[in-house]
Amino acid sequence: MSFSSLSAAEIVGGIRKRDFSAVEILTSFYERAESLEPSLHALLHRAPEIARKHAAAVDAAVARGEDPGPLAGVPVVLKDNMCVRGMPATCASRILEGWIPPYDATVTELLETSGAVVAAKGNMDEFAMGSSTEFSAFGPASNPWDTERVPGGSSGGSAVSVAAGYTPLALGSDTGGSIRQPASFCGIYGLKPTYGLVSRWGLVAFASSLDQIGPFARTVEDLALSLSVIARPDPRDATSSRRERPDYFASLAPWKAPGRESAPLAGKRIAVVKELRNRKDSVAAEVDDVLHKTLALCREEGAEIVEISLPVSLEFGLPCYYILAPAEASSNLARFDGVRYGLSSDQKSLIDLYLKTRGSGFGNEVKRRILTGTYVLSSGYYDAYYLTAQKVRQLMKKEFAAAFAGCDLIALPTAPSPAFRKGELVNDPIQMYLADVFTLPVNLAGLPALSLNGGFTSGEKPLPVGVQFIAPKWGEPELLSTAAVLEKKLGTAKIAPCGCAKASADRAADAGIAGSERGGEI
Amino acid sequence: MKYSYQPVIGLEIHVQLATATKIFCSCSTDYIGAEPNTNVCPVCLGLPGALPVLNGKAVELGIKAAMALSCTIRDKTVFHRKNYFYPDLPKAYQISQYDLPLAEGGELFIAGEGGALKRIRITRLHLEEDAGKLVHSAADGRLEGSECSYVDYNRGGVPLAEIVSEPDLRSPREAREYVTSLRRLVRYLDVSDGDMERGSMRVDANISLQKKDAATGEILYWGERSEIKNMNSLRAIERALEYEIRRQTVVLENGGVLELETRHWNDGDGVTTSMRSKEAAHDYRYFPDPDLPPIEASPALLEKVRTSLPEMPWAREARFRNEFALPEADAALLSETMPLADYYEICVRSGASAARASNWVRTEVLRVLNEQNIAIEQFSLSPKDLGALVRLVDDEKLSTTAARETFNAMIRDGVSLEKALEASGGARGKLSGNALADTVRGVLASNPDVVAEIFDGKDDKGKKKKFIVGLVMKEARGQADAASVGELLDTLLQEKP
Repeated sequence: MSFSSLSAAEIVGGIRKRDFSAVEILTSFYERAESLEPSLHALLHRAPEIARKHAAAVDAAVARGEDPGPLAGVPVVLKDNMCVRGMPATCASRILEGWIPPYDATVTELLETSGAVVAAKGNMDEFAMGSSTEFSAFGPASNPWDTERVPGGSSGGSAVSVAAGYTPLALGSDTGGSIRQPASFCGIYGLKPTYGLVSRWGLVAFASSLDQIGPFARTVEDLALSLSVIARPDPRDATSSRRERPDYFASLAPWKAPGRESAPLAGKRIAVVKELRNRKDSVAAEVDDVLHKTLALCREEGAEIVEISLPVSLEFGLPCYYILAPAEASSNLARFDGVRYGLSSDQKSLIDLYLKTRGSGFGNEVKRRILTGTYVLSSGYYDAYYLTAQKVRQLMKKEFAAAFAGCDLIALPTAPSPAFRKGELVNDPIQMYLADVFTLPVNLAGLPALSLNGGFTSGEKPLPVGVQFIAPKWGEPELLSTAAVLEKKLGTAKIAPCGCAKASADRAADAGIAGSERGGEI
Repeated sequence: MKYSYQPVIGLEIHVQLATATKIFCSCSTDYIGAEPNTNVCPVCLGLPGALPVLNGKAVELGIKAAMALSCTIRDKTVFHRKNYFYPDLPKAYQISQYDLPLAEGGELFIAGEGGALKRIRITRLHLEEDAGKLVHSAADGRLEGSECSYVDYNRGGVPLAEIVSEPDLRSPREAREYVTSLRRLVRYLDVSDGDMERGSMRVDANISLQKKDAATGEILYWGERSEIKNMNSLRAIERALEYEIRRQTVVLENGGVLELETRHWNDGDGVTTSMRSKEAAHDYRYFPDPDLPPIEASPALLEKVRTSLPEMPWAREARFRNEFALPEADAALLSETMPLADYYEICVRSGASAARASNWVRTEVLRVLNEQNIAIEQFSLSPKDLGALVRLVDDEKLSTTAARETFNAMIRDGVSLEKALEASGGARGKLSGNALADTVRGVLASNPDVVAEIFDGKDDKGKKKKFIVGLVMKEARGQADAASVGELLDTLLQEKP
């Protein structure tokens, strides 16, 4: 039996009712991964032994009549920069090869106590630096909609796991778009929470002031479900907010409110960004098209479409990000020196140990960012770069705050284009960086944003196109609510064809429905 | 023209804060004697994914020291990362403070030249984490010639307060005075144990030399400073600075130029050697640590610390001199640590005379502490009991010898003053002035022949009188003071017709 199309909520329901067991679900996960990994390479490490123990414990709890937890038996893929005791955490880097974390990330603990089963670690760009998962030291992942293309990144493996139906749920980390952009490229939901909502304890840092963990899912309900589990205050993370977390399910069905049945988005002001009009050339026409169709749908559902302006964020966000993120990264990645763990080059002198270990352990993109970051923090350049970028960041925060005085949500393309071809941008860092131009201002401002699949490109191999909604701080309920309304019209996210016959068959059945609902583009 | 050379000295002192746990994790700070790498966790090992969380107690102790130094405490203070590679630094950056330190602009008074108080300005006090410890395989423990090196991270993450002085010190003696005062202060406040040899107080010195016209005092040349490290005792500080003054003087006398450099004090050889020059200076690439939000010292916290501040050691020392009329050295010794000062003061408040109590605490009490290798807090004899005992001596109810015996008995047998007095056979009050006089009279009465001989002038060598004193002492079971018996005897003999 294939469980690949089940949502997390459906799996939990089925396990509770004993329609199937957690072990069966897990077995199905590995079977599907086994057949698809050769073409997708979404996973860096599979942990069947540890996972089976957890799954069996869930089944035992159900057998004893105990509550197996809100994520009972749901197999989850964690991006390989999150620590799970006893599983490797390579960050897709040679330099961390062989390191087994002796402790759990907070999200790992929360997932496991909720009955979720961490089944595998997801492929990614090395140290989360990249937008295509091509910078994985262990080989790129492929987009399940077209295996010639990238799945996006850096959380590409997690996104592919969900899009390809290995699992309904995966966690990624988002520093400049690393959840939302692959969600867009893979046609699923990706949520980047407000900075401070989810604990970073156990997440290997890229840029500490920007990193945030969030879920990938194929349904809005599953996003809410996973967020309810992982969004907890954590005394081990000084940047974790202590504020009380809302009930993320409460906002999932706004149409049930009296008088809102036909216009569930009534009273909501959704903003388009004025500056986007001037950037038509840098946004693919089909992306623009999907954005406007989605906005039209919002209007149909009762939302008011307004216009706001984000001149600083769209003009200076990118350079600001590529100063601050590398600056923090250059310091965060300094600890990989070959002295304590991971790769260690056998050298006679200390300086050679450092040079050889780091020289051979890091990939080119990581080196590029360490160099950039070291440069902008250097004496004599700090004020011109780092300090100026911090000021720009403050301006961006103010700009977003001012914009939210006139709207409830901001809509932007998640990425300027659909998934690009493998190899297309690998040697053009600037073009690669531009893939995050609409997502990284959100990280700089510390805001929550959600990417949903708004539609597909036309052509022989249709590619999904994401739309990004940005909310004010702690606005996750608002995002989930709007996404739920659109999901009712657009349908839940579909499992991708995965470039093989078996998966295509699954997809044909699914897409048959999706095609009609999404304007017959598929 | 004649020249004079004026040393200009500023000190940077790292004080290990007396917290139970490390500054950014909950590992124990008690690393002395611990197995290497046992007091460690993902945070202080800098494992990937681990995050620091500030220990509030370290902030509190830092504020306490800063307030005692009359510093201004910042409302909002920020931790920075100081980036450099070294194996004892597991994250390859030290979490420290940079341009927004916890406190700035304080002062500490020391005994200057000629005994007058001298004000030494404090530039800043900031918090940071300690590094681990490297152990080199070479027999002499030095890096040079070692086959390999080991790292022990037990000390990594132990909280430090770095206290930086302005270059207000003018001599090695003043530097020593300053360190002594600061050490006493941190001990007093329970901010640190201030132990230099064990490294809980580490002193680096910046010293430069001004070449002056001896006649006019005009500064003709001011050399670049050198920073001296590895001075592990007060004596070492003084010697290293004296050496450095001689060295720099020779350079200037020979028309040489002094350059910015870091020098290592070698205590065995009594010399400083250059470690690195300006060209090799690090660029630490300081930037605010994004893992740690700025700390805001709340008015409530400041008030809490302020009210917890005890009387400062210098104030107490002054009070001991004025109120108790103690000599300067004794007042300084007794106010060195708060527990000792408290012990002494309770003694006095329990009725003992200030001067005699001072003698007893400085000699008897400190002797026992030394013999038993314990701190005053662990001393079994309560200051109240000692006060009462000393008072008996004050009131001449007990001889010093007997009091010493009682003192020893109380410590040896762990008994109360009452019990010890009873055991030594002397009921309380027997040796009052009158009782003693009665005893003497009794002895005189029972030895009329000897008394007669004394009166007849046959005691030219004083042997007869000594005999009488001996008899009195015997009668008093040693609980009389020979000198006062002698005086009393002289008085009483004159009563004789």
